Amino acid sequence: MVASPQRNPATAYLWAAAACLLTAGLATPLRPFLDLVNIVMLFLLTVFLVARWLGRGPAVMASFLSVVLFDVLFVPPRFSLAVSDVQYLVTFAVMLAVGLVTAALTAGLQRQAEVAREQERQAQGLYELARELAGAAGREQLEEALGNYLKGMGIQAELHLIDEAGNLPFLATAALPQRLALMAVVQGDAVEMDDPGDLSRLVLPLKGPMRVRGVMVVSAQDPANLARERQRLGTVASLVALTVERLHYVDVAQESQIEITAERLRSSVLSALSHDLRTPLTALVGMADSLALTREGTTEATRSTAAALRDQARAMGNLLGNLLDMARLQAGKVQLRREWQLFEDVISASLNLLKPTLADRPIRVALPPDLPLVEFDAVLLERVVCNLLENAAKYSPPGSPIDIRAFVEGDRAGVSVCDQGKGFPPGQAERVFGMFERGQAESATPGVGLGLAIAKAIIEAHGGTIAAADRPEGGACVSFRLPLGTPPAIEAEPADLQEDDKP
Amino acid sequence: MTTEMNVLLIEDEPQIRRFVRAALEAEGSRVFEAENGQRGLIEAGTRKPDLLIVDLGLPDMDGVDLIRDFRSWSEAPVLILSARSDEQDKIDALDAGADDYLTKPFGVGELAARVRALQRRRMKGQEASPRLAFGGVEVDFSRRTVHRDGEPVHLTPIEYRLLSVLAANGGKVMTHRSLMREVWGPNHGESGHYLRIYMSHLRQKLEADPAQPAHFLTETGVGYRFQP
Repeated sequence: MVASPQRNPATAYLWAAAACLLTAGLATPLRPFLDLVNIVMLFLLTVFLVARWLGRGPAVMASFLSVVLFDVLFVPPRFSLAVSDVQYLVTFAVMLAVGLVTAALTAGLQRQAEVAREQERQAQGLYELARELAGAAGREQLEEALGNYLKGMGIQAELHLIDEAGNLPFLATAALPQRLALMAVVQGDAVEMDDPGDLSRLVLPLKGPMRVRGVMVVSAQDPANLARERQRLGTVASLVALTVERLHYVDVAQESQIEITAERLRSSVLSALSHDLRTPLTALVGMADSLALTREGTTEATRSTAAALRDQARAMGNLLGNLLDMARLQAGKVQLRREWQLFEDVISASLNLLKPTLADRPIRVALPPDLPLVEFDAVLLERVVCNLLENAAKYSPPGSPIDIRAFVEGDRAGVSVCDQGKGFPPGQAERVFGMFERGQAESATPGVGLGLAIAKAIIEAHGGTIAAADRPEGGACVSFRLPLGTPPAIEAEPADLQEDDKP
Repeated sequence: MTTEMNVLLIEDEPQIRRFVRAALEAEGSRVFEAENGQRGLIEAGTRKPDLLIVDLGLPDMDGVDLIRDFRSWSEAPVLILSARSDEQDKIDALDAGADDYLTKPFGVGELAARVRALQRRRMKGQEASPRLAFGGVEVDFSRRTVHRDGEPVHLTPIEYRLLSVLAANGGKVMTHRSLMREVWGPNHGESGHYLRIYMSHLRQKLEADPAQPAHFLTETGVGYRFQP
């Protein structure tokens, strides 16, 4: 508001001189009524007002002019610089001194007020920037707010953020300044760059509360501009870093939200699919089975057709189970229900489950005594053993025996299932674990080759290994091994029935 | 078993109801149907069935709640129908008072066998026998002796207790938790590995082929079943 005197110093001095002359003019008619001391007061007031409104230079000039005007117009002999009474020299000196001190003090105050106003303006600007950044919902809005703010200072800024992999992509394109930018990030401090062009630049690290998020490169035509605003730019960089970090966590939260939703959708689709496919299959199996068992009004041919229908529907049910299991496993979200248990439970349950399939097979089970407890998910491991048994039955001649063996080997415990079929085609032993992979391509043996892939996925989810090999004496062998770990202790009990809890 | 049995079938799928009904009627049972849980509970109250067959995946209510409700006033056996992947549902239903389960898809033969076993259990429930014989094994609960092929078999106290609990619940699926509770007491519900070890001991001592047991059967992920 008092910016004009600074910009036109000549005018200010003219105004100061005019003020002094006006005071002299007003005081002259009052000379008979006022003491000279009071006229001095009027001049001092003028100097004070000049200092207040026009600044220091004009006030100093007004001090001198006032002394001269006072001397010439009021002190006898009038209209001369001569002084009759020497004591007026003291008046002049005091008047001049008071005038100069007033000028200095007032102008100083003025400047302080000016600085305070400027600081307030800057704080207001930063506050507004902070408010806009707090509301920014993305990188574009962040950059727009920053650009608007810096435009007022004649400064441009570019943001370069560290990406997911921990790289600063900006380093790849900028040749010379890259080391400086890196230094800024590493030291967490601002770095100046000598640019080959005209622009002078400053690289500021974006230090978020958690870690450095990138750099802000600011440039201006006038290097002095950057030097002057360096501290403020540091503050701006902190604000930007906070915003970048906030946006980062917003992204993270959104991503995990999306993941949770997708996961929920996937599992609900899977269970709906499972229910919708299993219901008609159940009806099909049941109705075909009733027909196959009906004696009245059916022929032998009808009954055997119905039985075949039932068996096919059952096979489809197994396939469906395998497909759904594979889908769950592939989604990678299978929760293992691990418990310490014995292989023999799973082996006996699998054999019981596959009784119809294995009816014509001699099954030889070799369980060494004192097999240790192993930690696994029984339902999934049952699926593995069933798949291995079904596979063995499928690829070996009817009536030939199947061997199941449990074993301990170092820090692993395992189970192997072996048949007496033709074994794996040469060089194919590892490939059989791939999805939809079958030993004999397009053979008449039914199945889509999902069984071993599922077995592999389940065993690997347990931290175990699975391998296929031919036995030297002929036939294929598939074995899996699980880590033994440290089973929980079992306290022995006194081994006598008759002593304890007798009725 | 000549007495006619009243069966209530609660299942939302008409095609499944149809063949289950046919199979049960072929066995000489009288079958009542309900297509949802609410209807089922009302039917159960009026018909007082001798056997309840209930699908765990009912559209209108949780099958486990239904079983708990039914169990609060009826001792009649409960057979559940469920999908393979829902082990926890089966366990919850069994702990709520169900006796056995059938996994979909199932054949008429399996269904009939389960129903007959439950019926037998119900009949035998009335007269508690001090003797039990299965596969060459004879147990005399009054004298606390166990013989296999005429030879005395030595059981530890825990093995004997486990055998008694299983025998008292013959044909019924016992969850790991309920077996642990009955044999080791209420504080041992979590240390299931003891149960596995002792079950293995029983098989070694009483089964002709412990690796392929005929009486002490594993219900994977759920528990055990003793088949006399």
